[in-house]
Amino acid sequence: MRWWALHLPLLSLEAFCATLPAEETTEQTARPVALVAAHRVAAVNGAAAACGVRVDMKRATALALAADLLLAEASPVRDAAALRAVAHAALAFTPSVTLQDAETVLLEVQGSLRLFGGPAALQQRLLAAMAPLGHRVQLAAAPTAVGAALLARWWPREVAGAVFTGTDLLLGPHATDPAALQALLAAAPVWLLGPGREHWEALQGMGLHTLHDLQQLPRAGLARRFGTEVLDDLDRALGRRADPRRWLTLPATFDSRLELFARAETTDQVLHGAGVLLVRLLAWAQARQARVGAFTLHMHHERQRRVLQPPTELSVALAEPSAELAHLQLLLRERLARMTLAAPTLELQLSCQHLVTGAVPNGELFPTHASQAEGLVRLLERLRARLGDDQVLRLQAVADHRPEHASRSVPAQGGRVSDSPDAATALAAASQAHGLLPLHRPAWLLPVPQALAEREAQPMLQGRPLLLLSGPERIETGWWDGEPAARDYYIAQTDTGALVWVWHARLPSADVGAQWFLQGRFA
Amino acid sequence: MNRVAGARSPGRLFTPSTPTLTPSPERLHPALWRAHQLGRPAGVGLASGFDELDAQLPGGGWPRGALTELLLPHEGVGELRLLAPLLAAVQAQQRCVMWFDPPAAPCAWALSALGLDLQRLVVLQARQALKGVARSRLPAPDVLWALEQALKSGHVGAVLAWLPARLPADALRRLQLAAQAHEGPAFLLRDAALRHHPSAAPLRLALASAGPDCLRVTVLKRRGPPQARPLELALPPVLSGPALARAQRVAAVPAAGLARATAAPSGPALSR
Repeated sequence: MRWWALHLPLLSLEAFCATLPAEETTEQTARPVALVAAHRVAAVNGAAAACGVRVDMKRATALALAADLLLAEASPVRDAAALRAVAHAALAFTPSVTLQDAETVLLEVQGSLRLFGGPAALQQRLLAAMAPLGHRVQLAAAPTAVGAALLARWWPREVAGAVFTGTDLLLGPHATDPAALQALLAAAPVWLLGPGREHWEALQGMGLHTLHDLQQLPRAGLARRFGTEVLDDLDRALGRRADPRRWLTLPATFDSRLELFARAETTDQVLHGAGVLLVRLLAWAQARQARVGAFTLHMHHERQRRVLQPPTELSVALAEPSAELAHLQLLLRERLARMTLAAPTLELQLSCQHLVTGAVPNGELFPTHASQAEGLVRLLERLRARLGDDQVLRLQAVADHRPEHASRSVPAQGGRVSDSPDAATALAAASQAHGLLPLHRPAWLLPVPQALAEREAQPMLQGRPLLLLSGPERIETGWWDGEPAARDYYIAQTDTGALVWVWHARLPSADVGAQWFLQGRFA
Repeated sequence: MNRVAGARSPGRLFTPSTPTLTPSPERLHPALWRAHQLGRPAGVGLASGFDELDAQLPGGGWPRGALTELLLPHEGVGELRLLAPLLAAVQAQQRCVMWFDPPAAPCAWALSALGLDLQRLVVLQARQALKGVARSRLPAPDVLWALEQALKSGHVGAVLAWLPARLPADALRRLQLAAQAHEGPAFLLRDAALRHHPSAAPLRLALASAGPDCLRVTVLKRRGPPQARPLELALPPVLSGPALARAQRVAAVPAAGLARATAAPSGPALSR
């Protein structure tokens, strides 16, 4: 058995920083942040530690040391959600994942090494999958679960003269058999063990600093003085005691919430938090070996005048399911930029509506028809996200004699509507085959027919008379749906030589005195 | 005393016996050409479907990967009939054609009759976002962004964009740079009043109607010598035979009872 432990030393701070608005995250390294639990400081970041703030200080002391300190409540719920996201990202690589404590995820990877091509390749892929989550990860490997967790938390830099680098697994905290593990853990401090922390004062008073010292003592005496938990933990770490684990199961649906630190009044401030939720969604989707087809962002607002506002929902449906973070973030950003919030937002929730399982289509190195079509679909999605669904259109020919109804615009959904040729192309091919007059309809139609002045029964366009060349073509239809059209259509020539399509109303209309109208231009 | 044949005095430089043939500059690189020639060797451009026009264009056809600007007095002079063979050929290669902000509603039946496949045509109508006078003067919001995205993505076969007169200063330069990532033709259709405004497009044509079913093409800017006289192309006919005869008969009659335009460029064209 090979156990890998992922320890996240700054998990609570990073989970808190995800709730801050986007413009503050760039200054995170400069701004001191501290989390408070039970009126005492529980976690500090680098800038706060540089100012002198330490764990277990009182709130007032911390504020006195750093005037611009950002204090917030530590929230185990928030930390658990962040840890769950890390566990889901690990579930994409092995089904055996469990949690050790509030900050460590354990993986059993013996069965996955062959599939992913060895421990080095698996480590690279695992760390690459963790990268979007934005946590600092300490990785260690051992033949026992507790041993790996201890090594990951301890993260020894120097053991017996050899220096380990952080991401170098093969030379880092790594043990392949229990004897090597015992040798590595010999120098580990006692407070790494849970029970050891409680009795740290007493153990220190007795001069027991490392696990090696603990192992030298008689077991019966140790058990009598400090209880059996210390010995049990030590035995589990060294592999002398069985350590059965219950594996983590992946939830069937994805539903994650994030409470924002400050009220978000514009959609830009929502963007950062929504991005974090999107990363968690993709980690869950990849653990399910699936791609996201549609997701919904719910924005919960604060109460306004004691009235609870319904949450604003933003649904994003993808034409082709995707597991690419950049693409989903771009779509969400464009949609959010076009929305306005009804009320300030306090909490965000992301849920996935549509998940598509199955093999991912193969990526191609050289452009082929399939990759071109996919690229076109992505481009249309981006354009629709920015311009709106009603501005990216396809044309459809409708079998109606009235010209304004004969052509319809429908929103362009995917790369290609259907593979069969539509009615218009079939008719065009047939008419060309029979030698009929090809272009009897103008390419440009005015959406509303323009009334023309008339002089001596001749229509005039912009002050010049039109010369009627061809016609009349009588179109009389539409009495059944309230828009009757009784018109005589003529092809006319303007004085510059361009051809236009005008019509003469057969029945006099009461409201408008004009009888001649311009319908389209031949292009 | 005769000098020994072939002996050379030590101070003279060695000169080659025959000079090597220096290649003409237009064969060295496609970006070089002599002033009296059309730039680019033939066969690089896309066939337009009109042989007389191909002879006038550098590269023997419409350029790919660069902007082509077409200046029209108004929509409906025959520009779609001019471009239809090219667009149909692009769609036959399974590529998509995108139109940005057409000036009026396109008629699906007419486009099918021109040979276009409606399944591979995407139209962006961004103009409805603007109201009133701004609709004809200013570009719709985001249409320039959308145009640049479509050109840079490289998945679109051909692009036609109707842009208004007033554009931001660098817009055309940015579009020309974006068009270099594009594999097919990119056309900007604008008003003919802009012929004296500078533009970054390497090829500029002015289109005007020269009678029914006849189009006059004036090349304003190209990589090559200035055009001697405007070109007149016969477009696929809209009028039937009798209607065309009637048009020509009326045109030949001097203005008697018919008010005609003072400029008579269409006169000599119809008397062919």
